[in-house]
Amino acid sequence: MTGLGTTGGPALVCGEVRTCLLPTRDAVDERTAVELLRLRADERVRVSRHPNRHAVSPDVLTGVDCLLPTANGTRVRAVGTVAARAVLVEGRVLQSTAYFRAPAKGPDRRQPWGYYLVRPGTLVPVGRLAEKPVTEGFLTGHRSGELDIGSVAESLLARISRRHRFLDYDTPLTTADTALRWTAAPADDGEAASLRFTKADDGLRIVELRLPRGTAPDVAAGLCEDLALHDWLLSTVNDKLDGLRVGADDGTAALKVLRPLVDHLLHLWMPQARVDRALRTTWAELEEDAGYSRQWHTLAQRVRDQLTLLHLTRRDALATP
Amino acid sequence: MLVFAASDKGGTGRSVTSANLAYHRALDGDDVCYLDFDFGSPTAAAVFDLPDVLSEAEGRGLHSYLKGKTGEPLRVDVWARTEHPVLRSRPSGSGRLVLLPGDRTGGEFVTDEENLHRCVDLVLRLKREFDLIIVDLSAGRSYAMDLALAATSPRGGLGRLKNRWLVYHRWTRQHVMAAAELVYGKQGIVLAGIAMGHVPDALNGSIRFVRAAVPDLESPLWSQVSPAQYAWMRQCDKELEELAAGRGIGKTRVLSSIPLEPVLQWQERLITDEDVHDRRIANNETWQAMGDLAQRLTDDKFWGQL
Repeated sequence: MTGLGTTGGPALVCGEVRTCLLPTRDAVDERTAVELLRLRADERVRVSRHPNRHAVSPDVLTGVDCLLPTANGTRVRAVGTVAARAVLVEGRVLQSTAYFRAPAKGPDRRQPWGYYLVRPGTLVPVGRLAEKPVTEGFLTGHRSGELDIGSVAESLLARISRRHRFLDYDTPLTTADTALRWTAAPADDGEAASLRFTKADDGLRIVELRLPRGTAPDVAAGLCEDLALHDWLLSTVNDKLDGLRVGADDGTAALKVLRPLVDHLLHLWMPQARVDRALRTTWAELEEDAGYSRQWHTLAQRVRDQLTLLHLTRRDALATP
Repeated sequence: MLVFAASDKGGTGRSVTSANLAYHRALDGDDVCYLDFDFGSPTAAAVFDLPDVLSEAEGRGLHSYLKGKTGEPLRVDVWARTEHPVLRSRPSGSGRLVLLPGDRTGGEFVTDEENLHRCVDLVLRLKREFDLIIVDLSAGRSYAMDLALAATSPRGGLGRLKNRWLVYHRWTRQHVMAAAELVYGKQGIVLAGIAMGHVPDALNGSIRFVRAAVPDLESPLWSQVSPAQYAWMRQCDKELEELAAGRGIGKTRVLSSIPLEPVLQWQERLITDEDVHDRRIANNETWQAMGDLAQRLTDDKFWGQL
């Protein structure tokens, strides 16, 4: 497989990651995780146990022949397949990623399907790919009639959510899904990997990456899954603690909010667990500017402190006759 | 929890009461979403004071989604987008309140497997994100209702989700009879549900009635009527109660009675705390009744087989 920005390789990789809580009461065990992510009979689910439990489904392909979104209205038709895969972290957080790579130029005429099928996960433009307008257009969002990659990712989530045998739909807390839309373009020689991370409304995150030449598309997707997971964790815990009424009653209301966080989310923070060494500068940027880990540790500490206080208050209440 | 709001006739206060119900639950800290399945005449956007949403939803609303014309239906954050001056300042501790509007030009449509799958996928997704999902169905025995029954049947994909039905009717002879017919009639919800594989007792136990715009004769609103009028109205009320009991929708099956509220006669809107206590345009009883309805919705004491 050829990497980003190499001769014959893609000039651009684009994708979208959807992140949500698996709709079950408790985290699922490894065996169930594998069953859930078995999307194809001919390929295995990849499981890794360190530094945390992480299962990745095989890629499933969706055939596409449509216009790519562009910022300036240039018509760029692309044909091929979009790859999608699902990830389950610690049997608790479910992610699906749909992504494609696109070469700088393709044949001037639409080829038979056979031509595209030997290039899985690639959208070949008919003619030249206008890289800048496509990058901008993709990140801004599609218009009707253009490629809607979010719905490819969403339909994979829906497909997994429909597996009733494994799911009880009784989630311990409600959480808002997020969508992280990303593009990766090759960085100049000698330039370190970098990112631009923007939070938009309605759980949308926009990430523009510049990655070293030769970065494999699935490695870029892995980085974005890692970013999306941690952004989702941070947003979720932040939301739950926002406006928390600690002094309202005997603490029952606060406990109802805090307990699921401890039971299900606080142990999931592990940035860069599987991120390629060459791409770690992107995380460093995020840590420096937005202070993700600092904020997380503060929030986690706050949850624990509140629980300790609640415990003390209740014990005192019991002790006084 | 998944809640279906149904009624036999239009003008029963189904949409406006359901929207108030959603508002109360959100105030109490629940994450609530409201699905406007009232294809053809979506009113929720107006009740939540979202004037731009109707045109925005054109081609991106629930109807377009179910037909497969758009990958994801439009979602509107009510707290952020409403033009209602009170609602705009979201109270701390409140939950999310999101509207999924319908398409204005949608109209009714025939349900098929494709619609059903899309409906199930959407609800499963919303279930992750929200504590309470309120689905406002069109009046009468509609395709939207068939879709809801099919989706929640044991084979339909939402069978394992806790779901409840609220049937709204006004407090008149015609409305009482029509509501009873809608639920227990030959073409009614219960028989249609059983035909789709629902367990009769479970389905029956998940249906409750909400009486809307009920005149409370002891309220100040009616204090000026003549003795003859008062006696006549008392008699009507008694007869209606007997009629309702005879049709199987007597007091034990009623989840809540919403009193006749002058504000709602003039405007389909949310009744806020401010309307009651500061501006004093709405009655406290209405506020209370909406609050009770919101509480009882998830209180198992009020539900189950009688």
